[in-house]
Amino acid sequence: MRYLTFALGKGRLANETLALFEKIGITCEEMKDKDSRKLIFTNEELKLRFFLSKGPDVPTYVEYGAADIGVVGKDTILEEGRKVHEVLDLGFGKCRMCVCGYKASAALLKHHELIRVATKYPRIAKDYFYNTKHQTVEIIKLNGSIELAPIVGLSEVIVDIVETGSTLKENGLEVLEEVCPLSARMIVNPVTMRMESERIKGLIMRLREQV
Amino acid sequence: MKKLLHTPEGVRDIYNVECGKKLTLESRLKKTLHLYGYHDIQTPTFEYFDVFRKEIGTIPSKELYKFFDKEGNTLALRPDITPSVARAAATLFGEEELPIRLCYTGNTFINHSSYQGRLREVTQLGAELIGDDSVEADAEMLALVVESMQAVGLKEFQLNVGNLGFFHSLIEDAALDEDARERVIELINNRNFYGVEEYLDGIMVKRSSREAFASLGELVGGVEVLSRAKNIAPNSAGIMAVKRLERIFNILKAYGVEKYITFDLGMTGTYGYYTGIIFRGYTYGTGDAVVKGGRYDNLLEKFGKNSPSIGFAIVIDELMNAMIRQRIRIVYTRKNNIILYDEGMTKDAIALAKDFRGKAKNTELIKKEKGKLLEEYVRYGKEYYAGTLIYIKKSGDILMINLVTGDQKEIKKSSKKIGE
Repeated sequence: MRYLTFALGKGRLANETLALFEKIGITCEEMKDKDSRKLIFTNEELKLRFFLSKGPDVPTYVEYGAADIGVVGKDTILEEGRKVHEVLDLGFGKCRMCVCGYKASAALLKHHELIRVATKYPRIAKDYFYNTKHQTVEIIKLNGSIELAPIVGLSEVIVDIVETGSTLKENGLEVLEEVCPLSARMIVNPVTMRMESERIKGLIMRLREQV
Repeated sequence: MKKLLHTPEGVRDIYNVECGKKLTLESRLKKTLHLYGYHDIQTPTFEYFDVFRKEIGTIPSKELYKFFDKEGNTLALRPDITPSVARAAATLFGEEELPIRLCYTGNTFINHSSYQGRLREVTQLGAELIGDDSVEADAEMLALVVESMQAVGLKEFQLNVGNLGFFHSLIEDAALDEDARERVIELINNRNFYGVEEYLDGIMVKRSSREAFASLGELVGGVEVLSRAKNIAPNSAGIMAVKRLERIFNILKAYGVEKYITFDLGMTGTYGYYTGIIFRGYTYGTGDAVVKGGRYDNLLEKFGKNSPSIGFAIVIDELMNAMIRQRIRIVYTRKNNIILYDEGMTKDAIALAKDFRGKAKNTELIKKEKGKLLEEYVRYGKEYYAGTLIYIKKSGDILMINLVTGDQKEIKKSSKKIGE
């Protein structure tokens, strides 16, 4: 049997994924050792390997077949635009991709005005404004603290992930429009999907019963 | 000014052994196509943009390399070769009523977005069977793909075969609007069959359709899935599509290649021009299919000849990647002989080289520079895959070095000629 390799997005997503896997009998004791400096963890019994990587890199590993299976947020899948199969909605890590800003900016979204949009997700923002709203906008790519942009006047609105909305509220901002709902997804390399179809199908079926 | 010394992103130099191996691989595959009676064709690297326009159904326009000629016509580098062959066949064999078999090797160009690590120029080798809508033609194509893979030594691979007719019959029966149709196709392309079920739950679709779409994921496997597919097929078009696959399978048994076939009724086409059966070849060691093909019964019509056809293309670069990762050797044994000679021995060296070449031995003739040592030429020979080095000294003595084993043999001037 060949090894099946999993790429997991670092952080909370990975922890929740491992908890879910444990429910269907897939464990990786090696990974629980927080002091370990190992980069790749193996379950010899089931012939599985796991590694952690930055979220946006997960679809890259899976596209090239360096990992067979990945778990990553829908936002990352949309933003990276890789050729992978998105086979299952795992149901956790639920949040929304939204257009946010000051309440007064809502009017700017109605009249096809040229406005500036700050975001960590230029591809998602562009697709939403150009192809759904048919509004020409200037996209500004930022790498963090996106909420700052409308406050200091860098942009009129932002496109960002909203979970509870409390950061927005504290800064006087609010959700103006929803772009799409998000959650953790399981992705599979197209070749693995065919060459190891029985194992993958079984895995999806068992996970499906849990979510 | 800084000199540009590297190639642009997405294109590369292929040289030495890699180049030799690539050409060996191509010629082996080509030979298989020739064994099936396919005739070579070369079409231009670029064509009028119209040949690849949206209605043709190749890649999205924004991924084409486009430029203008002096008259202002838009030209495009070919992203795949099938539309070019279809155009050529429609114009060059317009009157021919019997099937035409064509094969080609050529580079194709796709302007992928940056930093995806994908090659923008890849070599495709393919075959097209034009003007034949028979089940036998479908089977010949599939058998040819399997035999090509076997010819290069690939053992673990599978050929997934679907029929768009089946998929379309489900779509038609479900009476989905355009948005819903796009969403369903997207989910199915992602193999997210639970997602399809959930999505169809949310909109008004009859139960039989919902169940049919949801079961597509199960319709993958050996010939046994076809009988299940027949039960699910909502109308006669769907049943016909499955029956065609059954008939193809029976013919493939005669070829003896049926064990490589996996039916996959949820498969949708890579290219918009596909109409009937479609197939993709998968193997370990590469993230993408190494072979893509299908039936395109309406493509030639767009170039003026009504001619149902089927074809496939092997992506050579992907195939090589897969073979290297699977450690399948591409046997490439070309070894040069190096004849090194001192000043004044030109005539002897040329005579010997002529003799060697006459015996079909690859011979590299090098005049020794005064300041350079013999060791440097030995190193050069080893690096550039020479088998032997023959050094003709000024004295007339000849030193033969076997570069593989390191054995040396000296022949004095007095003794007779070498190479016999």
